[in-house]
Amino acid sequence: MRLRIRYTKQGRVRFISARDLSSVWERALRRAEIPIAYSQGFTPHPKVSFPDALPVGYASTGEYAELTLATDIDPGTGLARLSAALPTGMDITTYLVVPDGARRFAKYLQATLWDIAWEPDVDTTPDLVDDLRHRADALLASDAVEVVRHRPKGDRILDVRPPLVDVAVDPGDPSEPRAIFRAVLRNDGPTIRPTDLKVALDGLADHPLPDPRLYTRVAQGAVVDDGVVEALTQQVEPLTPGRHAEAA
Amino acid sequence: MRAAAPPTTPDAADLDAIRRPRDPVVPPSYWDVLERLLPDVSQPAQYVGGEHNQVVTPWARARTRWLLCYPDTYAIGQPNQGIQILYELLNERSTSLAERAYAPWFDLEEKMRERGIPTFSLEHHYPLWAFDVFGVTLPHELGHTNLLNLLDLGGVPIHAADRTLDHPIVLAGGHAAFNPEPLAPFLDAVVMGDGEEVVLEIDDVLRRAKEDRVAGRLADRTALLERLAGVEGVYVPAFYEPRYAPDGTLRATVPVHPGAPTRVPKRTVQDLEDFPYPQKQIVPMTETVHERFSVEIFRGCTRGCRFCQAGMITRPVRERRPETIQRLVTEGVADTGFEEVGLLSLSSADHAEIGDIARNLADVYEGTTTSLSLPSTRVDAFNVTLSNELARNGRRTGLTFAPEAGSERMRAVINKMVSEEDMLRTAEISFANGWRHVKMYFMVGLPTETDEDVLAIAEMGIKVYEIAQRHGRANKATISVGGFVPKPHTPFQWAAQDTPQEIQRKLDLILEQIKPHRGLRLRTNDPEEGVIEGLLARGDRRVAPVVERAWRLGATFDGWHESETLPQWHQALADVGISLEEASHHERGEHEAFPWDHLDAGLDKQWLWDDWQDAISEKALDDCRWIPCYDCGVCPGLDIQHDTAYTNPETRGPSLPILASGPATPASPAPLGGSPDLPTSAARLESP
Repeated sequence: MRLRIRYTKQGRVRFISARDLSSVWERALRRAEIPIAYSQGFTPHPKVSFPDALPVGYASTGEYAELTLATDIDPGTGLARLSAALPTGMDITTYLVVPDGARRFAKYLQATLWDIAWEPDVDTTPDLVDDLRHRADALLASDAVEVVRHRPKGDRILDVRPPLVDVAVDPGDPSEPRAIFRAVLRNDGPTIRPTDLKVALDGLADHPLPDPRLYTRVAQGAVVDDGVVEALTQQVEPLTPGRHAEAA
Repeated sequence: MRAAAPPTTPDAADLDAIRRPRDPVVPPSYWDVLERLLPDVSQPAQYVGGEHNQVVTPWARARTRWLLCYPDTYAIGQPNQGIQILYELLNERSTSLAERAYAPWFDLEEKMRERGIPTFSLEHHYPLWAFDVFGVTLPHELGHTNLLNLLDLGGVPIHAADRTLDHPIVLAGGHAAFNPEPLAPFLDAVVMGDGEEVVLEIDDVLRRAKEDRVAGRLADRTALLERLAGVEGVYVPAFYEPRYAPDGTLRATVPVHPGAPTRVPKRTVQDLEDFPYPQKQIVPMTETVHERFSVEIFRGCTRGCRFCQAGMITRPVRERRPETIQRLVTEGVADTGFEEVGLLSLSSADHAEIGDIARNLADVYEGTTTSLSLPSTRVDAFNVTLSNELARNGRRTGLTFAPEAGSERMRAVINKMVSEEDMLRTAEISFANGWRHVKMYFMVGLPTETDEDVLAIAEMGIKVYEIAQRHGRANKATISVGGFVPKPHTPFQWAAQDTPQEIQRKLDLILEQIKPHRGLRLRTNDPEEGVIEGLLARGDRRVAPVVERAWRLGATFDGWHESETLPQWHQALADVGISLEEASHHERGEHEAFPWDHLDAGLDKQWLWDDWQDAISEKALDDCRWIPCYDCGVCPGLDIQHDTAYTNPETRGPSLPILASGPATPASPAPLGGSPDLPTSAARLESP
């Protein structure tokens, strides 16, 4: 039996690195007594895989895992147990029993909806929303926006524009203003992170943006007009409210 | 140079409200500010808490509030068993809570100091200054500067004399607390020995004291310290003073406060069955040095290795019952999800029923991915058999043995009763049983050592490597050589420590000798590392200003390669005017007083001296678990005894080496710490 799972990584657990994630899951699986299958060979490993890594410190409501079980379980009760065994902030939100002949999980995760959120502030948020809207227009109007990503092995120049499908700015509502920049990015091709997008936005006006409070991977799935179709539920995760872009 | 100011703390009235035993004001949590810094520091998961089995108790639910600390990084400190035992015991009480703290790495500390974030707990990210007790374990000497740094960063004055009732009690324990004198001005109270019982007694005293303070019946901090000193085994350094002879040598450390006892005894739990802890072990969410479910299968060791402080200060031997071990392991593995089990002790193969314990656990986990490990280093065939049993599920990779010295003569001096034949036969059996790597631990810089003794280490390594190669070209052998550091409360406490130059010369001798045998690996530490350890291990109160000076010059994380602190220490020694030659590198005389003479580890000083004399004359002494008592002083002094199945003739295993013992030494009364011409006070304070 194979299960595909969507889960969250929010709060304290967003500081767990991709490297440490496997042991956190393996221990939770053992605590929840999920009969996970093991690989053959000299050093057997539990068959838990994560289709893509989330940078340390990012939050997510769109994390995914695939489990291969040695024996079938009732997925509803079993995964509820697993969700309870996972650390606070990691919650299983949905699952799919993988049908025979299904394509690789990654094939279903074609694009990602990201949130970049700034600290709400009654005085500055409205101006920041306007500023973000202007930068969003400029971003979509450009054919190429290059950013430099600093790495220990040397800087790398990336064009953020090709994988960028659409962006929007969410101002919240008048009683609770906020500044959230949303973007749908294709997962194929060179990986562009929301931090690269932030650097790109910095360069589209005469002053850099303030540091965002939180980056969140909202959901992953197929691209549609106004967002992504989430991979497991087939429900649309919209870019709106505050839909901005004309182009797509 | 340490420049940044410590964080500001609330005024006395606000602190008082936070400290109140009942209906307190809840202290601020620093999580929100900290969270913003974490994306930019290394391994941020070490600062977030939230692990499985963490205990989160509302501030107002407890009347006494402890912050337990291992003064090193989370990766090093989290697996520590002592902290986990006390954490569980205190959190089981309805009237107390305990949270945990570790030392922030350089990158986070810098940001904390910039923003005024204090030393914080992992559970609620509450500040150190809000707690009633800062309980710090000192497992070795290289955390001393970190302790000062954590206090300073936590808004607590580093000098005990500057603290009031508005500050936490700074309480130290652990093996290095058996000589706390280099930290005396910084500590309020010290406990030697087993913490299980005494921590609850201290908690009781503290709870009553807090109630009394509310009722106006606790005058000041001295009154609180007096009550703490009334708990057996609690040493309050401020109540003692060293007395020096005109030539500067220490004569004695004597009590100068009414009611303080002349000697403070260590605490010893007679029956480990009374404390089957830790059960609910913390499951880390980031890498640590030991990610496993650990069970201490016995405490204490009477092998009598003369260099080994742990073996001397944890006597006598108290075994946990096999059925309790089995229960702790099976329940703990199910509860934590750990895939590895460690059966801990100072020499795990020595548990009288280790064969049954290993077999029963191997049966439980046969065919699973759970692995069992026995970090024992005993050099004999039985140890290999045990390791085979425990490795039923897994690969037979490496085995580690500790002959400790290379020559027969040197091993007689240190009382490590292993012959070369034992080691070679054990290596032969290991490789014949499919083990692929044999590691051996050795020391250089031991008393009476000659170059011939040093070269014997290389020769033993070469012989084992040849055995390895005979059984398979891919097999490996490693010799790991450390520099010996004399420790308090051991027969070698009188010994001179080799200088780092001399240690390096000896390591070079070994390296030269093994050069032609290219497959044999040699692992060594930087000899300079032993310098600070040696200074702090046997230092007296005159070393305390050196610790403070080194810290002020920027020294922290003294045990880390990433932190080069030796220049600061040499500067501090020069500034304070202490010579390493005097402090560490000369042999001490029979009648010289030690800074720890008033701290009673149970060992008779005369017995230690006689054993030191036996060492010099190469006389070995057998393990008192299976020979008659030789009066080291521990059992009668503490009115306890060994608690092992060896006392039952039916379970006495044939695998135990019964060796010829050295001449028994007659018992003689221990010299007391004080002398009649000095002010002493033998009467104990009444417990409130």
